[in-house]
Amino acid sequence: MRITNRKYGVILSSPGFIIIVALVVFPLVTLFVTSFMRYTAVTRIGFTGFDNYKYIFSDRLFWLSLQKTAIYSVGATGLTFCGGLLIALLLSKITRGSGLFRSLAMFPWAVPLVISGFIWRWIFNPNVGIFTDLLMRLRLISEPLPIFSNPKLAMMACIIADAWVRIPFMTVFALAGIDSIPQGLYDAARVDGADCIASFRYITLPLIKNMLFVGLLIISMINFRTIDVIFAMTGGGPGRATYVMSLYIIDQLWLRVNYGTGSAAGVIMLLLISSFAGYYVYLILKKE
Amino acid sequence: MVRKTIARILERPLTSYLLLIIILSIMLAPIIFTLFTSFKTRAETFSWPPTYFPKDPTLQAYHEVLFRSPILRHLLNSLIVAIGTTTIVMVGGLLTAYGLSQYKFKGANMLLLIFIATRIIPPISLLVPFYMIMSFLHLINTYVCLMLVNTFLWYPFAIWMLKSFIDKFPRELIDSAIVDGCTRTRAFFRIVVPVSAIGIAAVAIITFLWTWNEFLYGIIFTNTRSVQPITVGAHYFVGDELVQWDSIAATAIFTALPGIIFFSIAQRAIVKGLMAGAVKG
Repeated sequence: MRITNRKYGVILSSPGFIIIVALVVFPLVTLFVTSFMRYTAVTRIGFTGFDNYKYIFSDRLFWLSLQKTAIYSVGATGLTFCGGLLIALLLSKITRGSGLFRSLAMFPWAVPLVISGFIWRWIFNPNVGIFTDLLMRLRLISEPLPIFSNPKLAMMACIIADAWVRIPFMTVFALAGIDSIPQGLYDAARVDGADCIASFRYITLPLIKNMLFVGLLIISMINFRTIDVIFAMTGGGPGRATYVMSLYIIDQLWLRVNYGTGSAAGVIMLLLISSFAGYYVYLILKKE
Repeated sequence: MVRKTIARILERPLTSYLLLIIILSIMLAPIIFTLFTSFKTRAETFSWPPTYFPKDPTLQAYHEVLFRSPILRHLLNSLIVAIGTTTIVMVGGLLTAYGLSQYKFKGANMLLLIFIATRIIPPISLLVPFYMIMSFLHLINTYVCLMLVNTFLWYPFAIWMLKSFIDKFPRELIDSAIVDGCTRTRAFFRIVVPVSAIGIAAVAIITFLWTWNEFLYGIIFTNTRSVQPITVGAHYFVGDELVQWDSIAATAIFTALPGIIFFSIAQRAIVKGLMAGAVKG
């Protein structure tokens, strides 16, 4: 007996289907159900309606973490975007040794985020790090800069460590866009008397705009939920200066041992990111 | 007038090279100085002003990391989890991608869309449900747990990338092999897999690296050194009072090693694979 091609396709896809049901659908259902339950280590388990959500929305720490997340992701995304675009533009202009330069520009990508956190923690350390030393040698500051005890500077340090790993991604993204622009366009513009600023403004930018936008969306989506760097560098401190939403969710699990509020916070995070992602998916579907 | 001058300066190739060299030096400096720090003595890492190059290079830090700390254990844990995850993801992913790509059935596109949609879910959202499920199954602190959650993380992406490679495979080749008496499954392993080998290898490498680099689920679902991955275990040298920078640097080098090796030998394939996944997905 021969299996039809369609059935064969179904059989082949079944492992994927099983994984999706077991590792995505089931946890998601659990997440939503638990978010409406009183579920802690000490109380009796039962349904409580929207109590968990009410608790979170009246929790000062939640709003604080939301604010910190916004600052962190906007900062990291902005820095990644500008750095990536700049490097991509420069890489697209050179010809000799371009392969080597392109390879070198990719390397930070290979470094795990946690390790990036440790590395920059050392660089920015006021007592042993080279950043302070450099600034002092340049006579920009007269005594060590206590970066990790200053709320704003600590946030900036985390943003730099995060962007450092992600810049290559944005570079590749922008380069793919720039490389697909036919050289003829630039030649024609040159004949018409356009300098490189004008070519960038009127040729490069409009043609890679969509590509850049998608890259921007992906990076902001990722930054919104990343925690590795903060864990390695500040652990949310000083005080709660880098207390992002992911840390808030972890605290529900570890400190409060409250699965109900932890799930509710998870749902809120999911909805927030979905609004970003929904827009992104919409753009892709529109393109196809 | 000013603009003209700026444009003229920018147009010269030398400017691009100069700027690139400066920016890339800044980008690569952290890696290079970490490498240097790993060869310093501990006393030197605490001296002020800090040294940029090791004064008397020593392998002390590496010796400590490898033989007098649990780092080797963590590296082994990461290796086991990464290999396990990659195996699950690749076997499951290849079959599913082959089915979705070459043997379309009703709902195939829908299934693919669901795969993509799962990438939206922030891993941190599922922390609590995964924790509940894993506790219920008594899987907390096991390799299996880490492999499962990592499969959740990277499986959809792998399918998406693999499908984009297998999509390009000419269907006539499979059909003609089948006419010659080859079964569909054999055709897959004899023709499709070897021809798409580079793309498949790239996806496998990416899955391996991402699993290796994963931190969040590692720190939530394990709390004993016997299973903790290296990204979590690397905190070993970070004390409350004292951070042992030389050992941290050596650990950082070990942890970043797989990424740096893979990027050095297969960068083009990796970047291409990532782009195929990112642009379309």
